[in-house]
Amino acid sequence: MEEKYLICEDSLEGIFTGIYDAYALREGHERLHLQIGEEENLRLFAEYVHIAPDPVKTDKVARTLQTRLGEHVYHSLCRAAASCYPDKGEAVYKTVVDALTAGSGRRVMENVRNPHVARCFELARFTANEAHYEIEFIRFQELAAVKGTGDSVLFTKIGPKNNVVPFVMPHFADRLSIENFMIYDEHRKLFGVHPAGEDWYLVTAAADFSPGEPARSAKEQEYQELFCTFHRTIAIKSRENRKLQRQMCAYRYQDYMVEFKQKG
Amino acid sequence: MELRIAPQMSVMEKLKILAEGAKYDVSCSSSGSSRQNDGKGIGNTVAAGLCHSFAADGRCISLLKILFTNECIYDCKYCVNRRSNDVPRASFTPDEVCELTMEFYRRNYIEGLFLSSGILYSPNYTMELICETVHRLRTIHRFQGYIHIKAIPGADPLLIQRAGYLADRMSVNLEMATAEGLRMVAPNKHRKNILAPMRQIQNGITENKNEITLYRHAPHFCEAGQSTQMVIGALPESDFQIMSVAETLYEKFSLKRVYYSAFVNVNEDKELPALAGGPPLLREHRLYQADWLLRFYDFKVEELLSADRPNFNMAIDPKADWAVRHLEQFPVEINRADYHTLLRIPGLGVKSARRIIAARRFGNLTFADLKKIGVVLKRALYFITCNGRMMYPTKLDEEYIVQNLVWQNQMGRGEKLPFLADGTSYRQMSLFEMPAFDNDNDKISQYKTLQTSVG
Repeated sequence: MEEKYLICEDSLEGIFTGIYDAYALREGHERLHLQIGEEENLRLFAEYVHIAPDPVKTDKVARTLQTRLGEHVYHSLCRAAASCYPDKGEAVYKTVVDALTAGSGRRVMENVRNPHVARCFELARFTANEAHYEIEFIRFQELAAVKGTGDSVLFTKIGPKNNVVPFVMPHFADRLSIENFMIYDEHRKLFGVHPAGEDWYLVTAAADFSPGEPARSAKEQEYQELFCTFHRTIAIKSRENRKLQRQMCAYRYQDYMVEFKQKG
Repeated sequence: MELRIAPQMSVMEKLKILAEGAKYDVSCSSSGSSRQNDGKGIGNTVAAGLCHSFAADGRCISLLKILFTNECIYDCKYCVNRRSNDVPRASFTPDEVCELTMEFYRRNYIEGLFLSSGILYSPNYTMELICETVHRLRTIHRFQGYIHIKAIPGADPLLIQRAGYLADRMSVNLEMATAEGLRMVAPNKHRKNILAPMRQIQNGITENKNEITLYRHAPHFCEAGQSTQMVIGALPESDFQIMSVAETLYEKFSLKRVYYSAFVNVNEDKELPALAGGPPLLREHRLYQADWLLRFYDFKVEELLSADRPNFNMAIDPKADWAVRHLEQFPVEINRADYHTLLRIPGLGVKSARRIIAARRFGNLTFADLKKIGVVLKRALYFITCNGRMMYPTKLDEEYIVQNLVWQNQMGRGEKLPFLADGTSYRQMSLFEMPAFDNDNDKISQYKTLQTSVG
């Protein structure tokens, strides 16, 4: 029998629409595969179908997953779908099959004997870990107030591997509920925006957008220096251990953190 | 009349001096408290805690750890801020502390405030200053993040109670594992004065829990519990003594954490040891490993150490050490063993044990599955079977297993032990088999007095 590849867009919508269409085809899940983006080397005995993301189908899949598998599994699937690895489509799809069709249901994420579930679990964990690191290591700077209003805006730039902004925003929206803040993902040109006291939302910038170096408020430099001093002072000389420091806070995060920009 | 010999200091200079003074306090967790923002102020707390940065020594920076003042009327031998030291002195004002905390917190530099202090004039005076600062932070600035306060031994119980309602966590440092040790190095501190506020906070937390059950909106008292710290390696206490004290503190005083701080001889005091090889970091590490075994793995101190074996093996971790001495309980069948048995296998932690229990509902597990679950097979393989088979043919022999474990660490990414290069066997490896530490009778009598003074 011929294998069939469904090619979806690299987004949660794309993957969920792919899952909907895979079920709609009724051709048996063993022969169906979900693929993100184009394949470079086409297979000989395989059929390729392009799937356009569809908000109605996405909604239906999301609702089914939430009600039948519970919030916990649903969030794990969303995190796996936000991963940077291209095999995420297949992993998420086959995990849903394991849960709904093979019957592992709400316990599906525990069935690590299934290689697709294990992969999905791994991807979800990577995204969750990275989101956690960003929650810890994000450094906001206060931007100069817009003329006319006295409002301050906090801004930060990050460069995560996975698409973590949607998972980071709820934390800061609760913590800094009375602040205006923006988190900008450099790699995806994606803004998470939170106006003080309101709900947060995501904005995608144009492909050629670059934020440059935004003007900072008068006090910003002072507090950055204070924190750098604190960071230097708190270390105990006789216990110095750069390797441990690097292990706990990888260079790719350090690149975006004020205390590591100045040498010392 | 107020005399000012030193000129007015900037916040930067004060921060430098007062962070310098606070850095030997180890406690830096922001865990144990879970609170949502109320929409009127800034901040929330996360149950697991968050580390916001890592200093050059690899320790996490979670809280803005500062002293309120480093002026002190006490003269403890190990402390950098003791009265007899000639160091620059500084004090914050409550507003300066509040502003620093708020501005750092907004920028996500820190998770909250850790406020400790030298004793200025008297314990009561100092405790009142700390309370006042934190009160301002909570009410005027509406700060809802994490606050950790040191309870000053000897302060009025009312002040400590007030602080408890403002803070998430409080701590009183035990400093030395034995009462005699404390008397030797800190002539102004008494074990009784340290244990009294500890007991008070414990009772406060218990009462508060009952209150909250009855009245949902009752204010929280030290929601994240209390912690303490002991200095390691300043006096010839054995690991057994230290761990026994820790166990008593967990059981009798319901402490959330006991911290161990490798001794750094900051004052080069002649009565305290000069540690040529730097602070005893490996020993500290072993104590933390054992501490985790007590809190999460259902181990008891007597299982790990005893009066005739009072110190940890420096070559392998306490859990592996326990396992090789109890080979009659191994190998364990992964697909059958209960949770508590799984927890005792080296290379297997709380998370992997839980995942194993959950995953084997779907069928028998293989070694490949265990790898995916996160089991450290290079350590576990000597102690487990999957479907009745071991991973490789290995000997269930103490000497053989230990050699392999140590060798793997030396070769791979595990702990590097500098003293194993010359091929010494692990049996000779206790750092404390030195004449100075070898007075067992003395240790036992010390241990007995300790039990009575703590219990």
